[in-house]
Amino acid sequence: MRLSRRGLLRAGLAGTAATALGGLASGCAVPTGSTGRNMVLWYWSGGLSDTVVKNAKARYDRSVDLDAIQIGGYYRSKLITTMAGNAHIPDIAGLKGEDMASYLPNADQFVDLRTLGADKYKSQYLSWKWDQGIADDGSMVGFPIDCGPVAHFYQYAVFRKAGLPHEPEDVSRELDTWEKFFAAGERLKKRIPGTYLLTDVNAVFENVVQQGSRRYVDKDRNFVGDREHVRNAWALAVEAKRRGIVSSIVNGTPDQISAKESGRLPSQLGASWATGDLKNEVPKTEGRWRVAQMPVRPSNNGGSFLSITKACREPERAFEIIAWLLNADNQAQGFVDAGLFPSTPASYGMKKLQEPDPFFDGQVTMDVFGPAAQKIAVAYNSPYDVALGQPIKDEIKNVGVLGKDPKQAWEDAMSKCRRIAKHLGVSY
Amino acid sequence: MATVPALEKPTMTVADAPAVQPKTGLRKYWHLYAAISPFYLLFLAFGLVPVGFSLYLSFHRWDGLGSMEWAGLSQYQYLLSDSDFWQSIGTTIVIWALATFPMIFLAMVTAVMLNSAVRYKNLYRFAYFLPNVTSVVAIAIVFGSIFSTNFGLVNALLQAVGLDQVAWLNTPWGIKVAIATLMTWQWTGYNAIIFLAGLQTIPSDLYEAARIDGAGPVQTFFRVTLPLLRPTLLFVLVVSTVTGLQSFSEPQVLLQTTANESTFSGGPDHAGRTMVLYFFQQTFDNNDFGYGAAVAWGIFLVVVLFSIINWRLLQRRGEEQ
Amino acid sequence: MASIKGSRRRGIALHAVLIVGLLLSAFPFYWAVIMSTHTSSEIFSYPPKLLPGSHFLENVRNLFDAIDFFGSMWNSLLVATTVTFLVLFFDSLAAFVFAKFRFPGRKLLFALLMLIFMVPAQLAAIPQFVIMAKIGWIGSMTALIVPAAANAFGIFWMRQYMKSAIHDELLDAAKLDGANFMRQYWHVALPVVRPGLAFLGIFTFMGQWNDYAWPLIALTNPDNVTLQVALSQLNGTHGTTDYGMVMTGAVLALVPLLIVFAIGARQIIGDLAKGAVRE
Repeated sequence: MRLSRRGLLRAGLAGTAATALGGLASGCAVPTGSTGRNMVLWYWSGGLSDTVVKNAKARYDRSVDLDAIQIGGYYRSKLITTMAGNAHIPDIAGLKGEDMASYLPNADQFVDLRTLGADKYKSQYLSWKWDQGIADDGSMVGFPIDCGPVAHFYQYAVFRKAGLPHEPEDVSRELDTWEKFFAAGERLKKRIPGTYLLTDVNAVFENVVQQGSRRYVDKDRNFVGDREHVRNAWALAVEAKRRGIVSSIVNGTPDQISAKESGRLPSQLGASWATGDLKNEVPKTEGRWRVAQMPVRPSNNGGSFLSITKACREPERAFEIIAWLLNADNQAQGFVDAGLFPSTPASYGMKKLQEPDPFFDGQVTMDVFGPAAQKIAVAYNSPYDVALGQPIKDEIKNVGVLGKDPKQAWEDAMSKCRRIAKHLGVSY
Repeated sequence: MATVPALEKPTMTVADAPAVQPKTGLRKYWHLYAAISPFYLLFLAFGLVPVGFSLYLSFHRWDGLGSMEWAGLSQYQYLLSDSDFWQSIGTTIVIWALATFPMIFLAMVTAVMLNSAVRYKNLYRFAYFLPNVTSVVAIAIVFGSIFSTNFGLVNALLQAVGLDQVAWLNTPWGIKVAIATLMTWQWTGYNAIIFLAGLQTIPSDLYEAARIDGAGPVQTFFRVTLPLLRPTLLFVLVVSTVTGLQSFSEPQVLLQTTANESTFSGGPDHAGRTMVLYFFQQTFDNNDFGYGAAVAWGIFLVVVLFSIINWRLLQRRGEEQ
Repeated sequence: MASIKGSRRRGIALHAVLIVGLLLSAFPFYWAVIMSTHTSSEIFSYPPKLLPGSHFLENVRNLFDAIDFFGSMWNSLLVATTVTFLVLFFDSLAAFVFAKFRFPGRKLLFALLMLIFMVPAQLAAIPQFVIMAKIGWIGSMTALIVPAAANAFGIFWMRQYMKSAIHDELLDAAKLDGANFMRQYWHVALPVVRPGLAFLGIFTFMGQWNDYAWPLIALTNPDNVTLQVALSQLNGTHGTTDYGMVMTGAVLALVPLLIVFAIGARQIIGDLAKGAVRE
């Protein structure tokens, strides 16, 4: 059964309801940040490799007590509460990728990592990922931890039976446009009735948007969700529905698990970490899966950062620790321990990342994810993207699930966006 | 703000003289004020500032980290015209009604059954308590299975009696029914225990008298049990209103989907997006803390309004009898 | 009068209904227990596993390695027990006043209490955090105990309960005997509201035991947290969470709750024969 991990975290958090609302932004005479030897690092379970954190503690033991704390529940609300309350703020704070756009406008609450010499590490990291940690004013808030290159997971035997390309290189090469991808879906459905290429239309819509360099709001606070790049994604999603290559299965139900297991849902577009999810959900399918490049170009889904807060008393030492924690060797270890896909290309060739994976019948998945990670487009993420992207995602879902008229759905999405944009001060 | 109407009948009050002289009042009643003071003192110390602050916040724009910007009444103006918020009110009320009335009925029946002299009472009581403590992860997995389209328990039953499958988690009504079912399951036992405690206040000689009058079990229930249970029923109804209208974890548990999707959006056509989920979405997905605060105060007004209506309704029915 | 045969038939029907309710109530709990005996991938496999697996001890070992289970459980016991006793005392005392006495401002104060009860719980965290930080309670259990020591829910409940459970003749008799306010509360009111107190006690304990949002924010030292906060640290990111271990933690955390319930519930229908009234 598929339970979204983030969903569970949120459900858990929400199960609690009380969360940050209201705050006293003014300074208070309460202890903040570190005092002398003590260096507090906040991250979340699975956010860094335990081995690497332990090694860092030992390595810097002479100069600081590195106090690495895993924060459970809804991470961001705890961080915001302490920062808004101006008390008990960690020195080093993990920042989740999906929250990054909302931290960047508040770059003044973090130490600009360029002032600590971050630029000299830049060449070692994926450039698009590096740029995601930089605010509009040019200051650097986040130092790259991991990323989530998206690829095409599929079941070898099913593709072969349907007469489709089935070797990873062939799939990557021959299903390289959405048109060919959809045609393959039609063929699959025709040859093996009841079999679908993707779960729902949102898989198409969101991946197409993510492939591009623009989202829903641009740097100058203009709504761009009505432009060509979104219209194109919308049209492709509607086409996927029209051509009948998406199922009516609901994500996260036993229906989906069983469909994956029986081969009726033999394909999905997923980030590198989906490997772990698949192994958990459908362990019986070991050996049946392969990974290939997704159509057109890879997109990214997930990945996070480390930052140094203004409360930190020893930013130089903190930066030294961060740069070490996230060097290519340790990122490779992070992949082995926690499935954190390295943002350091030098890691990809390392021996421990070149292991054949029996779940993929001995395929070295890094051969697909590694090149994918390096081809991801640099994109601008606005703090308003979530608010103004959601109505469009909701409406394409209504098209896919409820059979709503696409034209009507698009109009509804746009009128809702217009209203929200006005409310948020985004020009439409 | 309207005062909450008093429930008590004149006969229920103590023969304590009503207040006469305000001067002697404080001296005369100081021990009563002292006895109720802890709650109010704690509220002054820890509750007032947060409440006041969220009110302040609702007149501002704030992203949770940066500086606040004065917004006047604009958040509330937007709230009034926000069709999504109005939709979430409707959603919440429908789910609340679908869950609350069956729940109260079942809870009362269960309590009456447990209160009659059955064996293995402890075992039943224990089992009925379990839904309240079962972990969220387990509930999510179990109810996901119960309501899934092809392999779900409910659809298997429907097919067994010759009916069509329903895509429970993919249709607006299906989602509401599924959420209400989960809430009913989780809270029936809890309310049964409340009723059970309430039933203990009914003197057994009243039942005796009813039996001598030749009343059957149903008559006894309506003539003896229900009238005397009214304070408890009022409590259950008001608490169910306050908590039911602020529900959010049930839809989240049922509708959590892929990592790219917000867990606050409530499924197709927002069919499961309750008021509090909408609050979460505005506050945490959109980083719109100011508007979130305005939404929270909107929720508060809806809850107060509904509680007063319920209180009055029950009150009036009580007077008629 | 019903015949013996009829009443037996009715008894069987009663049990049949109660057993259906029992199965419906207990099944998800049963399944949670079953999950705690499986590995993560067994939990997600289809068709679902409905019989115990063999990984319970392994899950327990992993759990105890991952978090300080007993240390955090001790904190939870401390907080939940203290809060429960404080709530039982303060709430029942206030409820006694609201249910049985008249005094200036009574209606207004009670209306205020109900309004506070209806304020959405989501409004609190940041300002409350600031207040606690100023007092210096952040990181200690005091930050959890003190704000929870009295609540509107419990006062409302006990007021409703006392209205029907405490009969005026009883109080009048005590007053004639010259009993002062505290004696009336202690010797007249409390003995007859035991079922009501038992309910409040069970669910206050449970609420505190399962509470997690505020503790998560208020407890900053990971070595000194409550059980739910410790358990929340087990949920990881994609594909890395060990659900067998998570379920084992969730199930083991219930043991004290079930014990408290078993003890408390006995008070609710303990002495049916005695009845609630002593005339």
